[in-house]
Amino acid sequence: MEKVLSKKAFPQWVKKLESYTMYLPRKDGDFWNYEVIKNPEIIDLDYLNTVLSPKKIIFPQREVLLEFSTSNEEELKINEVLPEEAQSVIFGVRPCDAKALTLTDKVFGGDFKDPYYWKRRNSTALVGLACNTPPSPNCFCLSVDGSPHSKEGLDILITDLGDKYHAESFTKKGDDLLNLAKALFKNPTAKEKKDLEKIQAESKKKIQRQIKDTKKIPPKLKDMFDSPFWDEESLSCIRCGICTYLCPTCHCFDINDEVTSSSPIKGERVRTWDNCQFPDFTMHSSGHNPRPDKAARLRQRILHKFQYFVELYKNYQCTGCGRCISKCPVGIDIIEVLEKARDYGS
Amino acid sequence: MDHNTYIPKLAKIIEIKEEVGGARPIKTFRTQFLSTNNFSFHSGQCAMLSVFGKGESIISISSSPLLKDYLQFSILKMGRVTSSLHEMQVGDIIGIRGPYGNSFPVEDWKGKNIIFIGGGIGLAPIWSVLNTALSIKKDYGDLMLIYGARTSKDLVFQEELEELRKRMPVHLSIDVEEPDWKEFVGFVPQNVTDKKPSPKNAIAITCGPPIMIKFVIKALEGLGFKDEQIYTTVENKMKCGIGKCGRCNIGVHYVCKDGPVYSWAEFKKLPQEY
Amino acid sequence: MVNLEELKKEASQILKEGKVKYIIGFQRGSNGLLPVPAFIKNPKDVEKLVWDPTCVYNLTLFLQDEKRKKTKEKEPDERPVGIVVKGCDSRAINVLLQEEFIKRDDVYVLGVSCENTGVLDEKKLAKKLKGKKAKKVEFGANDDFVITTEDGNIKIAAQEVLAERCLECKAHFPVIYDVLIGEKTKRNVENPFKSLEKIESLPPEERWKFWKEQIEKCIRCYACRSVCPMCYCDECVADTINFVVTPDTSAEEKAQKIKWLEKSPVSSENFVYHFVRAIHLAGRCIDCGECERVCPLDIPVRFLNKKLEKEAKELFDYDVGFDPDKPSLVSSFKDDDPEDFIR
Repeated sequence: MEKVLSKKAFPQWVKKLESYTMYLPRKDGDFWNYEVIKNPEIIDLDYLNTVLSPKKIIFPQREVLLEFSTSNEEELKINEVLPEEAQSVIFGVRPCDAKALTLTDKVFGGDFKDPYYWKRRNSTALVGLACNTPPSPNCFCLSVDGSPHSKEGLDILITDLGDKYHAESFTKKGDDLLNLAKALFKNPTAKEKKDLEKIQAESKKKIQRQIKDTKKIPPKLKDMFDSPFWDEESLSCIRCGICTYLCPTCHCFDINDEVTSSSPIKGERVRTWDNCQFPDFTMHSSGHNPRPDKAARLRQRILHKFQYFVELYKNYQCTGCGRCISKCPVGIDIIEVLEKARDYGS
Repeated sequence: MDHNTYIPKLAKIIEIKEEVGGARPIKTFRTQFLSTNNFSFHSGQCAMLSVFGKGESIISISSSPLLKDYLQFSILKMGRVTSSLHEMQVGDIIGIRGPYGNSFPVEDWKGKNIIFIGGGIGLAPIWSVLNTALSIKKDYGDLMLIYGARTSKDLVFQEELEELRKRMPVHLSIDVEEPDWKEFVGFVPQNVTDKKPSPKNAIAITCGPPIMIKFVIKALEGLGFKDEQIYTTVENKMKCGIGKCGRCNIGVHYVCKDGPVYSWAEFKKLPQEY
Repeated sequence: MVNLEELKKEASQILKEGKVKYIIGFQRGSNGLLPVPAFIKNPKDVEKLVWDPTCVYNLTLFLQDEKRKKTKEKEPDERPVGIVVKGCDSRAINVLLQEEFIKRDDVYVLGVSCENTGVLDEKKLAKKLKGKKAKKVEFGANDDFVITTEDGNIKIAAQEVLAERCLECKAHFPVIYDVLIGEKTKRNVENPFKSLEKIESLPPEERWKFWKEQIEKCIRCYACRSVCPMCYCDECVADTINFVVTPDTSAEEKAQKIKWLEKSPVSSENFVYHFVRAIHLAGRCIDCGECERVCPLDIPVRFLNKKLEKEAKELFDYDVGFDPDKPSLVSSFKDDDPEDFIR
């Protein structure tokens, strides 16, 4: 379904969706982050990409899996805690972040479907915002099979046409959102369709960064496991978790018991994000660590995204959002690392 | 919605046996689920055990799948969860989820001779497949066990081993000389070379510390075993058990899901990061 | 004026003479305005070295890696590491010496002067340039920065785009060095704790609200800890199992390890993390401001450390990182130490 909505009417549309829990990027100091919208009047879609991607809504950093307790008779009880099935909409999802969710879908799907993830995923509609200008100087979606107007993973894609928005729905979830405010939307005119094409073509030219010959990278990495390359490239790494925690595709997690009372025992089993860049991530209880240093951990991050994931799911586990580059405390640039790897030894 | 695999089933500890004392104690636990039958599994698979309030730990199932009355786990006291397990009494409740991972291809091995090679707690993962082979002994050729530990006190399943001697050759070893020790003194790989199991129509399964596995494989290769004839089980830190939490991978393989059982032919192709 | 050629010459010479095993300095990166750390072994590569107001990092952090590497080596190369330091960074070296984390012979200090100004706050500059992209930033002659943009050069008074910590800096040239490149400049800082005034003026409930909001943003990426040259402990309370485990560590010891905080990024746990870190840096933080710069959520972590620096100054007249031979604040006491804050 393809429609046009005047910018002035946008808050009215949002108002019509009141029965949904709605998330929108909000400016906090110098950056943007997703928040639940309380006042649809002050909506601003003119924003740079959020520090944390919508991953944090579908796969929150902390999630209770179950509760456990002993009653007076010392009988242990466990109680499954699944997220509430609230119908939600996330507005302004950048195409790279939407695509990222199609990648985490692969991980949380498969033989064991992760009920926590899918409860939220299935009840959330993603309304994307096309990137007419790149929201970060480090965007490189075109190099990893993405595009600033990609619809992958989205229910609706909105494109800014100046005084109005072009809105295209690709799913039933998307159609439902448009149908809730039928009167506000018009069919696009031939001129508007033409404008859209023009904007889309121009937006691709504005992307400033690229990986050349991305396709050559996975086969090359396959032979680089034992290369001294990783020692060289990781020299400046400081072992923090920024690159992976901000990554829209990283999905690793930890499970721990958090106890509120130890006698009688009462507490929650909690899942939290975890991070392959932290030393304790792979450390065995014995103290043995299969990835003992930062070189091994940088290698894991790069190989996971550009070799292992490609072998397993036929996709790069990277959508080119540029967050890890922009926020790395010491300027480690995944584009540079990959291009160096591609050319290593040749 | 699919079954929620993260929710463990409650199980009662019905028997605890102290296998090894001292600084690195090992206990064997037998458990029964409270409200359901024991799950069916295959030899080599693991289960995630919960001590509520402490957390979870992945443990290989050491009983044979043919035994339906209980699940058995032999556990070395190592960290937070296993220490709590060691403090537990018969009647205490734990959580169990699983079974996870792949298993030994016992069907393919019918008619073959099997050599079991274990070190320390590494006998536990192969105990299940050993007992399965033993209980349908007519389906297999000659069975042999080569097993060793640091000292005679560190050997697990000591009573069972004596029973086992009546049914198959059992070759034990300890690392250093002890008075009254009549069997082999030295490391497990040396004992393998000493006992010279024949590679002819044979499969060798080995589990133990990584360094032992490495040298056992060398010893087997020296005896003429081919990569496809050697099997091992691998361990790594695990949290989910289903290939999602991302920490146990060796290359593209998630040990919890795609392992823990590997033929040496498969395993040597993976990055050596374990 | 810092002469970059002088720095390169010195670096090249000590590498050629084999005086140092390698040099940690700054070089241009593949992307963005800020440089990246350089680890230079070959004298030819000294050409890569840069020194300008974008050199914000405190490179003394990498002395931790060096120490860890050395303890693992059987026959370590005992030569020092050459390291490029600004005034603030040099104070970190003093603290590391004071705490005997390093020995004086472990480092060959290539001190560079901040030329009476300091380093850049990238965000302040971006706001000033209103969308224009800076390509290069250099020290100017009159306490200003010369910014090269796509459409030519602009001069901006350094005060307008300096990193906050530089506005309150107590050492704009290194206080410890083997070679000093540039001038020993003099600058009067009227109030080195000025940035705290606003928060301190808030009533307690509002201050609490402010910090609660800030700390709740934390995602516990630990970048503030990772970038800190003083956060060198092998064992940190923030990690649940990352303590020094050896094959001989008993199961009991591991099991009884106290969990000070959960991994959950909730307000209570985040507070424990940030407060423990702040307290552990009391009398040790040299205000390089790196913790705040790297925070992806813009939590003003520096204020916590700055406040404790102020307490140390006011209560004990203690200045951090000026004298490596002086006992450290928290490991010493004097008979006339104030006691009235003990309640």
